Amino acid sequence: MKFFHLKIALALLASTLLFSCTDEVNATYTFRTMMPVYLEMKDVRGKSLAPIPAQEIEDPGKIYIYKDYLLINEPSKGIHIYDNKNPANPINLSFIPIEGNVDLAINSNILYADNYVDLLAFDLSNIQNIRLVKRVEDVFTHLYQHSTGKIITFKDTILTSDSPRWEYNDMWTVRPGMSLLSNMAKASQNYGAGGSMARFTLLDGYLFAVDESTLRVFDVLSPAEPEFIKPIELGWGIETIFPFDQKLFIGSNRGLHIYDASNPADPTRMAIYEHVLSCDPVVVNEDYAFVTLRSGNFCVNGVNELHVLDIKDPYKPKLLKAYPMLNPHGLGLAENYLYVAEGKHGLKSFNASDVLAIDKNQLEFIQSMKSVDLIPGPRSLIVIGPDGVCQYDYSNPAKLRKLSCIQVSNPIEVS
Amino acid sequence: MRYSKLIFVFLISWCSVQIAATQEKATLTQVELGLLRGKSKTLWSEEIENRFNFSFSAFHGKKIKPNHYLGIHLGYDNYPDVRILPIGLGWRGFIGDDIGSKWMGGLNAGFGTTFLEKRERTDWSSTWQEGGVYFQPFLGVTLPAKKGNWALTSSIGFKWQPSSYFEGTHSQPETRPKIHPFWTRASLPEGFNSLNKVTTHFQSLSFQVGVLF
Repeated sequence: MKFFHLKIALALLASTLLFSCTDEVNATYTFRTMMPVYLEMKDVRGKSLAPIPAQEIEDPGKIYIYKDYLLINEPSKGIHIYDNKNPANPINLSFIPIEGNVDLAINSNILYADNYVDLLAFDLSNIQNIRLVKRVEDVFTHLYQHSTGKIITFKDTILTSDSPRWEYNDMWTVRPGMSLLSNMAKASQNYGAGGSMARFTLLDGYLFAVDESTLRVFDVLSPAEPEFIKPIELGWGIETIFPFDQKLFIGSNRGLHIYDASNPADPTRMAIYEHVLSCDPVVVNEDYAFVTLRSGNFCVNGVNELHVLDIKDPYKPKLLKAYPMLNPHGLGLAENYLYVAEGKHGLKSFNASDVLAIDKNQLEFIQSMKSVDLIPGPRSLIVIGPDGVCQYDYSNPAKLRKLSCIQVSNPIEVS
Repeated sequence: MRYSKLIFVFLISWCSVQIAATQEKATLTQVELGLLRGKSKTLWSEEIENRFNFSFSAFHGKKIKPNHYLGIHLGYDNYPDVRILPIGLGWRGFIGDDIGSKWMGGLNAGFGTTFLEKRERTDWSSTWQEGGVYFQPFLGVTLPAKKGNWALTSSIGFKWQPSSYFEGTHSQPETRPKIHPFWTRASLPEGFNSLNKVTTHFQSLSFQVGVLF
């Protein structure tokens, strides 16, 4: 019996040499993409634009301040309106549902907002009764797809393919946190304040809007009757626009364009300051432009710097000094004080009165305040970070004091 | 570091043996070495190659019925590109006389872990391995020793063991997103922009020899 079992054991061993199974191998590739969504403008125009009760902020985009109000764009969804009389306790008033909205500007109680290819004008004079007063159709035509005549937008989507690598021709991979966020613009008397990454701005009765390649000029001398004047081609990579002293400072990922807007209906190029491929919001004062260059997202170059340009002769901007930074995003200038959102690294304030020694005059570095964008407003310094939209008392730039934070349900991701 | 983990597993197995040796016959311990034979296939081509992989396992169980034992199963399987430590339950059943050789049947099932494999992380991406649920039915014989209360065993069986290799790119450079356990993880975990997953279902014939006591 025992010998019999020994033979069986040997037979078992032999059988393993003769037979075997083949492993199964399969692969999946899960990725974040932008799925194209096609829309008919007639359907978009048919939707109600009446304000609805206050909504929770999911994913803040541009911020804008006007009088006692704080407006926060929810990219592609609409605009939240807050009563910001008391920055320590902003009150969420209402939400204007505007599909395809990415930017805004306010002039004499008239709110301008894009609605895919159209420009809308809302009357804010009675904040409890916001009304659409004008729609300028088919001005942001770059959103039309020529082959279909439809609007093409992209929806952030997660897909899984059974291919080891993505093989979708019509999709773009996208990283979270790419949304363009607002920053600082100098407030004219009747204008609100946007940011150094704003794409809408107002100057001398004209509204200027940039997309990736084009500057569009609108006559808003009669605020409730915006009129499209002309497009001006700028070249690719346009990111931001900042007005100052009858000039437009347009940030692109290759450099800074300076336009003479003394005749605002027909701005003309004065100069281009070129730099390495980088994301570069800009703010300026009479003599200097402050530009942040950062790596991350599309701006993969490893450069994280603050550039100070001499623009006394706007036809010949020249680099005065470059300061190393950690990962500067938006920035804001209030008098001689410069505020820089350093992404996940925090928020910095500088005394920038000596532009050649900014690094030696860092006043505060709040590492706990992750930030991507800011506006030095009349009542508070408004900062967007992963924790939401926070406001600081910056009466003492060396001692920023947090007043409030509006929490968001889907915080933006910062590098 | 990885060898210390291996030694740790062996020590656990050895302790199981020692504990069993001091107990009555109501417990059974089996320690086995063996081969896992299969045919591996690459994802990129249909090329098939024979593979022979080393396997070690230890079982320690309690008698639940006459000739039936239920207990824990630990092991170490050295598959191509991944080392898996199975941790699970085992059953052993015997047919035959109380003296002399017996037929043996059994089943091991549980989860194959990959904690011997290191996670590779850079500023841009992360790679790691994960195991999966395994099962291993087998049949064999026991050959009792002339002296002492132990027996040699020989068995043949089938072992199913999935294992996955992950390569994820981070949403933001210079971040290292947390890799949550698979049972709480989304298809695309937070902090990742893409995730490539290659799963190999190892299907092996197993031949093992060992001792039980």
